[in-house]
Amino acid sequence: MTVIWTQTGIVENDPWTQPSAEDGPKLLPLAEALEHAQDNAPFGVVLQPADDVRALAPVLDRLILVALTFPAFSDGRAFSQAMLLRERLGYKAELRAVGTVLLDQIPLMLRTGFDSFAVEHAPTIQRLIDKRLPGIDLHYQPAADAAAQTPGYSWRRTALLNG
Amino acid sequence: MYRYDEFDHAFVAARVSQFRDQVERRLSGDISEEAFKPLRLMNGVYLQLHAYMLRVAVPYGTLNSRQMRKLGHIARIYDRGYGHFTTRQNIQFNWPALSDIPAILEELAEVEMHAIQTSGNCIRNVTADHFAGAAADEVADPRPYAEILRQWSSVHPEFSYLPRKFKIAVTAAERDRAAIQVHDIGLQLKKDAQGRLGFAVWIGGGQGRTPLLAKKIKDFLPEADLLSYVTAIMRVYNLHGRRDNKFKARIKILVHETGVEKLTQEIDAEWAQLKDGALKLPEADVAAINAYFAPPELAPRAEGWGELAAWQKSDSGFASWVGRNVAPHRHPDYAMVTISLKPIGGIPGDASADQMDAVARLAQEFGHDQIRVTHEQNLVLPHVALADLEPLYRALLTDGLATANAGLITDIIACPGLDYCALANARSIPVAQEISNRFADPARQADIGDLKIKISGCINACGHHHVGHIGILGVEKKGEELYQISLGGSGDENASIGQITGRGFGPDQITDAIETIVATYLANRTGADEPFIDCYRRIGADPFKAALYGSEAQAA
Ligand code: HEM
Ligand code: SF4
Repeated sequence: MTVIWTQTGIVENDPWTQPSAEDGPKLLPLAEALEHAQDNAPFGVVLQPADDVRALAPVLDRLILVALTFPAFSDGRAFSQAMLLRERLGYKAELRAVGTVLLDQIPLMLRTGFDSFAVEHAPTIQRLIDKRLPGIDLHYQPAADAAAQTPGYSWRRTALLNG
Repeated sequence: MYRYDEFDHAFVAARVSQFRDQVERRLSGDISEEAFKPLRLMNGVYLQLHAYMLRVAVPYGTLNSRQMRKLGHIARIYDRGYGHFTTRQNIQFNWPALSDIPAILEELAEVEMHAIQTSGNCIRNVTADHFAGAAADEVADPRPYAEILRQWSSVHPEFSYLPRKFKIAVTAAERDRAAIQVHDIGLQLKKDAQGRLGFAVWIGGGQGRTPLLAKKIKDFLPEADLLSYVTAIMRVYNLHGRRDNKFKARIKILVHETGVEKLTQEIDAEWAQLKDGALKLPEADVAAINAYFAPPELAPRAEGWGELAAWQKSDSGFASWVGRNVAPHRHPDYAMVTISLKPIGGIPGDASADQMDAVARLAQEFGHDQIRVTHEQNLVLPHVALADLEPLYRALLTDGLATANAGLITDIIACPGLDYCALANARSIPVAQEISNRFADPARQADIGDLKIKISGCINACGHHHVGHIGILGVEKKGEELYQISLGGSGDENASIGQITGRGFGPDQITDAIETIVATYLANRTGADEPFIDCYRRIGADPFKAALYGSEAQAA
């Protein structure tokens, strides 16, 4: 079963994954999302790795969720898509990882700007509930998270992953 | 050399415990082997034919004696008393137990070493000129930049799941000893007209089954922009590199299929957005990293000049070792010494635990505590006084480390091949050993002169056969091992990819074929001052093909 996790815990009643979300906000693929921008309601978009996130620029202020897809854990394109969304386009609303979302990639996803995660793997869900992410608190590069610059070299950052 | 500060120590310790946790989850079945594989690879752990293999990073090939001693210790305690120095300036242990690996990583961390990103589809250990910091012809030491890249690429959140592995090499001299044109990114440190430092940037070189030379995409990148520009390259590659076929996933294929001009435009457009952001390198940081690489204080030792001449006169073995394995240092009283790991009939790149200890001791005694690993699988003491060469030579002799063959026909590069490697088609090491034995005579080697033989056990080209003056590639035909020969490859500033001569040779014919090639060279060269590669470039492949296949072609 898919569970939605954010850094504040498991999300109950996530509007995007409810089966009866008929009148809730819509989650659309890129092409439809660009069309949907004609009406006024806020909406969500789900992108595939080959989609150009920059196409979202005109509809950005209407988006309340962007879901980026990891078709396999080894396909890292969504990490770059996330960086572009956050850093280049300045997207501020929810950024969700969907597809193959595994425990060891979540710390990297957090750094590149993801803040919600659709997780199916039971041991992973347990570790997330326990707040035992297997990451490192020290970083050698700026990214899209809120990591703090530390004294010393300009490229270093720190953040408390399980704090 | 670079020294860890608290931040680095804490980072490596955290990485070790992260890996320990991953191993435990694998053992408990929480993660599948498929999901575990990239995690262990990113920490240098391969599953090979007979055992796990651990590849330890030697960033830009630089070691001190304490680190070398630790490698010897690991070889002795956790392996079978050997380590294998690789063409990527790293060291590989072929027989560690998986359960020992976290303990090995902890031991390595004590001496500021790790196995991070020595494998996997991420940015690999950054390599550099093995003479960096000592060579007379460099514009500046390239290692500080390799160190900055090492730090920046460590556990990079955006670039840990690339289409394929990614290799960066840095050099700082016109004479390219780091083979930058066969790397995913090659950087040549240089000065502009105003004397400012920057880089010529090359992308898309690589070997493997599609050998391609890199293309220069920037003539001068200011040093402050190093990380932003490399990030732009990586981002374009991560988004657009092919993921449908692992044999077409390297950046070289993206360059080839997109066209270098179009790709350069995309990279430049991305860079324009990143250039003045957080990745800009402050001068103070570059200076601080550079300070770690300040050359040792080299006291004048002019007495060495006279002594050296006298020793050379009285001992021909010493004289030929100096002639081959000793290169001029930028300080006239000093030299750079190559310690050959290619004893006649030995396994290229192997060193015993005792030899590692000996090198550590000699580096302390004669070499200002500095050691380098070369991509040709040898070791270097970069700062030895001429006056110390004779005692150093004597000590190396007793440990079997004084083979006077740097750059000669027996200084062979060979990958692990079928003796260790799960992907191999054929053995590499025994072929290297047989050629080495056949050409053992020092006088004959000296007469043949500079000649690089490189051997790979399969098309992945770990043994660099594409850039060997003579390349040997193991292939499999109908269950038989066969060796294909290519000629005219080169990995230096005049890089070229070797051309295949024709059908392959069986294991019992390959050494004879090498003899035939050498004889053809000797018969055709203008004189002893025309090395093999120049002769080949002048006369072309035909005389060699005729010698290799001619008589048989007539008979058929
Ligand atoms: C024994 C286990 C090893 C395995 C399974 C292995 C696997 C591979 C594979 C699959 C490739 C091709 C990658 C590609 O074309 O995308 C490759 C290339 C390469 N490997 Fe290895 N390798 C091994 C050992 C080594 C060793 C010991 C060295 C150093 C001596 C080495 C150095 C290289 C180099 C330099 C390349 C060529 C890089 C390029 O394509 O530009 N490998 N290896
Ligand atoms: S070239 Fe082939 S046989 Fe040799 S180490 Fe690489 S993968 Fe193995």
